Amino acid sequence: MAFAWKEAGLTYNRYLAVAARAVRRSLKEGPRVHAERRGEMELRFAKWNNGKQGESKSLATENAAAMAEGAEKSS
Amino acid sequence: MLVRATRPALNAGAVAAVRPILIPTASYATLREIEGRLKSIRNIEKITKTMKIVASTKLTRAQRAMTESRSYGQTSNTVFENAETKADTEDGAKKTLIVVCSSDKGLCGGIHSGLTKKTRRMMESIPNADLVVLGEKSKAQLSRSSGKHIKLSFAGVGKDVPTFADAQAIADQISLLPEDYGDIQILYNRFINATSYEATPIEAFSEEAIKNSPNFAAFEIDDEALSNLREYALANSLFWALAEGHACEQSARRNAMDNASKNAGDMISKFSILYNRTRQAVITGELVEIITGAAASEG
Repeated sequence: MAFAWKEAGLTYNRYLAVAARAVRRSLKEGPRVHAERRGEMELRFAKWNNGKQGESKSLATENAAAMAEGAEKSS
Repeated sequence: MLVRATRPALNAGAVAAVRPILIPTASYATLREIEGRLKSIRNIEKITKTMKIVASTKLTRAQRAMTESRSYGQTSNTVFENAETKADTEDGAKKTLIVVCSSDKGLCGGIHSGLTKKTRRMMESIPNADLVVLGEKSKAQLSRSSGKHIKLSFAGVGKDVPTFADAQAIADQISLLPEDYGDIQILYNRFINATSYEATPIEAFSEEAIKNSPNFAAFEIDDEALSNLREYALANSLFWALAEGHACEQSARRNAMDNASKNAGDMISKFSILYNRTRQAVITGELVEIITGAAASEG
């Protein structure tokens, strides 16, 4: 694969999110607080199986876990 | 006491004349009851008015976010329009995924049930489609009719103006689904104007669909970049759908609360007339009693 983030097991969206967070953190104090609000994500999600709702989990931690798993597979 | 002195017959006549539907057992609507009801309607009116003001202020922000997000979605769709991409569902081998963009909160008219109805109609034409539901409201409605098709559900949508981070995280989780979908339909409320909106699907394409599109060679993109493009386009479309759905919800809530306040105002004016009439009837009744009493004792 030609893409570094794919090799690290990240999706393109995850890569973009990380890059965007880095840019936001490097802003000056005033605009930074404003910009960081745009990066917040507090969704929860649940997987469904056969018409039954599974456990409700935080999307952020679950995504990070999935990426880490992807990284282990590809390395 | 005035209230106790009310003669049931008189009272019943007054109530039945003014508002026969509201109080079916009209004979017992005493002054105090009417007063209590008036008070509670006034409180409800206060609440709906406040909610309307809150929704109005949120609406301006939501609309700005909507116009900004539109450029994301439309720019990414331009690529597929120029490439003349078509969903690859003809062979029927691959499943369709429907993403329903509703939100967590109610009290905003029929926008959630509108989405749900549209989803059910789409499920009729594509019976083996899978569902991803954003937001608690549509989840509750869809889990009853087609719970077996739901693969993922997201909560916490629509607390605030949706961010691109939200859309990206959802897109990631969707792309992690084990099934390879030939076609993804994102169902959202399209904002037509402040009072009308329409449940509309946007399409997000699979990799093969992009690859097979007739004019795609014109872009000269490596095949390896395609999966990135697909993920990113999905996030873009989702962001667009979320932001526009959010704006619709706020505007619908504003309208719903406006109507509720108006209805409360109507009810208040009706009840104050009823209250005053009943009060007068009570006074007249008492006067009649006093006069007859006086006449009887004189004679």
